[in-house]
Amino acid sequence: MRRLSRNLVAICSTLALTAGLAACGGGSDEAGGAGDTIVAETAFNLKTIDPHRQFEFTGSTIDNAIYQTALEFEDGDLTKPTDGLCSYEMSEDNKEMTLTLKDEDAKFSNGDPVTADDIVFSFERLQGIKGNPSFFLEGVKVKKVDDKTVTLTSAEPNPALPYILPNSSIGIVNSKVVKENKGTTDENDGAEQFLNENSQGSGPYKVEKYDADSQVVLTANEHYNGPEPKYKRVVMRNVSAETQLTDIQSGQAQVAFDLNADQAKQIDESMGKISSLPSTRSLYIFNNTDEKIGGPAADPNFRKAVMAAIDYDKLTDLAGKGSQRMASLVPNEFVGAVPKDEAPERDLAKAKKLLQKAGYDGEKVPFHYSSDQAVNGVDLAQLAETLQAQLKEADINLDLKPAPSSTQLDGFRSAKQPMGIGTWGADFPDPTNYNVFIPGGDVADRVNWKDDPKLKKLADEAAEAKGDARDAAYAKLFKATTDTAVWIPLVQPVSTIAVGSSITKFVSNADVSFDFAKAE
Amino acid sequence: MAEATTAPHDAPAASASGEADAAQRIKPPKLHPLLRFILIRIGISIILIWGVTVVTFLLTNLVPTDPVAAILGDRAAADPEIVAQTREKLGLDQPLLVQYFTYLGNLLQGDLGVSNQTRTPVLASIGQVFPASIELGIGAILISVLLGLLLGLLSALKQNSIVDHAIRTLSLIGISAPTFWIATVAYFVFFFKLRVVPGAGRLDPWITPPPKVTGLYTVDSLFAGQMATFANALGHLVLPSCVLALFTIGLLTRFSRSSVLDIIRLDYVTAAKAKGLPARTVVFKYIFRGALVPVITVVGLAFGSLLSGAVLTETVFAWNGLGQYAYRGATTLDLPVIMGVGLVIGVVYILVNFIVDLIYGFVDPRVRVR
Repeated sequence: MRRLSRNLVAICSTLALTAGLAACGGGSDEAGGAGDTIVAETAFNLKTIDPHRQFEFTGSTIDNAIYQTALEFEDGDLTKPTDGLCSYEMSEDNKEMTLTLKDEDAKFSNGDPVTADDIVFSFERLQGIKGNPSFFLEGVKVKKVDDKTVTLTSAEPNPALPYILPNSSIGIVNSKVVKENKGTTDENDGAEQFLNENSQGSGPYKVEKYDADSQVVLTANEHYNGPEPKYKRVVMRNVSAETQLTDIQSGQAQVAFDLNADQAKQIDESMGKISSLPSTRSLYIFNNTDEKIGGPAADPNFRKAVMAAIDYDKLTDLAGKGSQRMASLVPNEFVGAVPKDEAPERDLAKAKKLLQKAGYDGEKVPFHYSSDQAVNGVDLAQLAETLQAQLKEADINLDLKPAPSSTQLDGFRSAKQPMGIGTWGADFPDPTNYNVFIPGGDVADRVNWKDDPKLKKLADEAAEAKGDARDAAYAKLFKATTDTAVWIPLVQPVSTIAVGSSITKFVSNADVSFDFAKAE
Repeated sequence: MAEATTAPHDAPAASASGEADAAQRIKPPKLHPLLRFILIRIGISIILIWGVTVVTFLLTNLVPTDPVAAILGDRAAADPEIVAQTREKLGLDQPLLVQYFTYLGNLLQGDLGVSNQTRTPVLASIGQVFPASIELGIGAILISVLLGLLLGLLSALKQNSIVDHAIRTLSLIGISAPTFWIATVAYFVFFFKLRVVPGAGRLDPWITPPPKVTGLYTVDSLFAGQMATFANALGHLVLPSCVLALFTIGLLTRFSRSSVLDIIRLDYVTAAKAKGLPARTVVFKYIFRGALVPVITVVGLAFGSLLSGAVLTETVFAWNGLGQYAYRGATTLDLPVIMGVGLVIGVVYILVNFIVDLIYGFVDPRVRVR
């Protein structure tokens, strides 16, 4: 038996030694050091990094570092598009945009210069392949005028175009190489896989390794005509939010994208700092206007009662520091936003009066939401439960109907849900992006909201407004939309990015969540 | 009832002796029992695999939601033309039966389809992530077999002592503690606080993986002679393997303990002791070997469950394996991925069971096929 114990000790010692040896090997730099690499972590929602197909946060963040765009937002100011690869001019009637190639030194990662042909091909490919972001240039005719000039013509006035072009989905690709690799401007395009593994942009980085499930590695583009990035490599890893917190605090990662308000609070100041940006997402309640489906929610008085029963300050507490009240679905930083001080307020007495008017007798109203989804750290299940408790104080009974987001989205789109939580992320920072919520728009269809002459008139007026008047016209339209309480704006959450203390200088704004090329 | 009991009597008599001789003459040469056993098991396994394809296909397609909605963004989903095109491109406009036969036909040609989300062939992706799970699974199974058997043996030999109670309590904790919680706590303590293991992932992020031979970083780095990468990969393997092994250690400890206790009372063990054989011989050659048989089943099943059950461990440790791939497939309603992973895990289970049955015979002569 003594021998048995000796063997046991020997085996355990071997195990411990192996673990020890392995742990010592943690600092290996056989294939490159950590010094010139930024490790960024996010829970992947990556489908592709083909710029003309990508439509999710991860793909967009990566493509921001790879592709240059015709126009940009300087310093994240979403109200003023500025020159990128091109300068621009809009015609008086907002129907024609002239782009002039400005950045003549711009070169793709293989050294080819960026030309007007590349811009035309990129725009036409985006339109023709009918991917998720194709709608950006829907109805726009693209034409090369000369080697430096391209025109974009729309049948209807299109004042949103300058706000659309900075989107990384409209990145300019090397047309020659993409065409050589099955790239076309129609649905037969077969260059997606090629573009995933061999990016063809003129931005500060190019792709070194692409794995949609685990990580994407970027390496500096030696032909980039801007300042040389200090960090030569970027490793974007698929990591859960819990692990991101530990990694940023230990120095294992330099950027973490998915921390919620509580996690952000836990970061030790010596190990990292938080960059809080206004999110371009809106959280709202939807009410179905069809009486057969919506039940009480179809009654304007009931909807307004709900709006008056919500404690909005508690919702901003829930969403964390930096989150904001909303007076409409348009985020506060956009042209056309309704000033925050006009946001709805809680008034329980008013709510009860309105309920009486609506003839509501406390019946349960099914309330749908995605139980597995968090929007900028706001857990929708927690939000739904909070709303249920708040509305209960006004004697409104919500019957919570949680579902996985894929199922929930399906139900909402089929216009059969009476009430629930909706979310909207801006495709581009222009109020026209929110026209889908006005009767006749795609999202309005989901609550069977077909007609509202007053809103239609305001929408027509806003569409014709120019310059500074545009801001006021859209604000008027969306204030009137909020007043119907078909959509009840809840909160504009905050986008939190944790940056490790090894990075002393960085750019992080509402346009580019983290600019890898400018980090020092 | 009466008919049933009388039926055998109504049947014709066995056969005349002449017929029996003829039958014997045309009988093919007898297959070796082991070969026959293997062939039958292969046949059963093929039927089982077909069953797995039916079940995974049906379950995945009966989910009451539209995968096209999950694939398309809000804007594209609002355009009926794009929705119809996507449905047609994915073959979702076909009747379910047609879809199944297309799936089966492709499967027979080794085609598991293409991920709806990433447009990457599922087989290629599984080939990419499978070695990661195998590496983790092997690590976990080695740790759990070694510790589970030893602790079980020790617990049985020291029955009702403090050691026994301590081991039993620990095994209970191993079985009942939620893996996700253990993984998070272990990562926090051993990586963040004590710094004895490296961080999440299979390698430090700035290290380039070794050239792919097997896909197992520890093995491939050895092939490439990259010792530092090997040490790094091994270091990254230690903590997730231990966490993943905890459940199996608990299970194996309990199984091997009760198995040893059963064997220890048998006559041949008493006889061996009475003959004055050394304790080590009695324990390892007589008790331990006899106790192994039921334990092998647990190890076999544990290996399958390690592959399928590593989802949460892989998520915490950013371990890009089959579990994480399956999780992503499920949350994005990526049907080809869900079916592909389901099939692979089913095949692994069936294969492991088959191997376990074969190993039985080698370990225990009593169940050997004659």
